Amino acid sequence: MIDPLQSSIKIAGAGLDAQAIRLRIIAENVANSQSTSNAAGGDPYTRRTVSFASEVDRAAGLPLVRVRSIGVDSAPFRIEQDPGNPAADAQGFVKMPNVDVLVELADMREANRTYEANLQVAKQTSDLMNMTVGLLKDV
Amino acid sequence: MSDVYLFQLASQRTQWLSSRQALIASNVANANTPGYAARDMQPFSAALDAVHVAMTTTNPGHVAPAIDEFDPGRPAEDAGADATLSGNSVNLQDQMVKLGDVNRLYQETTGIKRVFHQMMLSALK
Repeated sequence: MIDPLQSSIKIAGAGLDAQAIRLRIIAENVANSQSTSNAAGGDPYTRRTVSFASEVDRAAGLPLVRVRSIGVDSAPFRIEQDPGNPAADAQGFVKMPNVDVLVELADMREANRTYEANLQVAKQTSDLMNMTVGLLKDV
Repeated sequence: MSDVYLFQLASQRTQWLSSRQALIASNVANANTPGYAARDMQPFSAALDAVHVAMTTTNPGHVAPAIDEFDPGRPAEDAGADATLSGNSVNLQDQMVKLGDVNRLYQETTGIKRVFHQMMLSALK
């Protein structure tokens, strides 16, 4: 078993990684919130979702976090009437992505908050290590 | 029991605080994991009580008991935490408060180590 303080940094690092992937997926969703199909009447961009799972790390003896899967949202596409759009079908309906930008932004705030919390843990753990190292000073 | 017990006590305290820090790190990392239950350490005093004083062997026939090493203790589920819809019971604010606690107590313990060391040095002078 490694030093708990070192495993804390490792665990916080895993948390940062997981939240960074989540932020990347949110960015993809927002960027593609208007991406329609190339073909007429085809399916547009489908919203991606991220799910986490905890995984016990053998060395740390404590659960780390990892991205379990990146899935797709099965919610129905928005249908808009826009006959001029290249992706419109014969009736003039266009399938728009099932991305709700408001939901993505709320999700982004949550990911951001958890990212900051993990960063705080990593910072503070290195402070604790420095306190012990600091014992060697001014003896 | 060593001659100067305070150093040992301070080191056990540091060990316990480090383990707690790792546990908080784990809770924070899993703040968005569905079904994850927040956990916390048992108090330091409980971990200390679990260590038994080793008996001295005065006769070759005595069986020396296994020396109890200090064990920071098994983490248990945090009872006071409410679970969200996804079954996750990590409250980030709570964890940050605990992080502050660990920081303060760690500082206190290293302070005690330093002062005690200075005290021993002053006896040498």
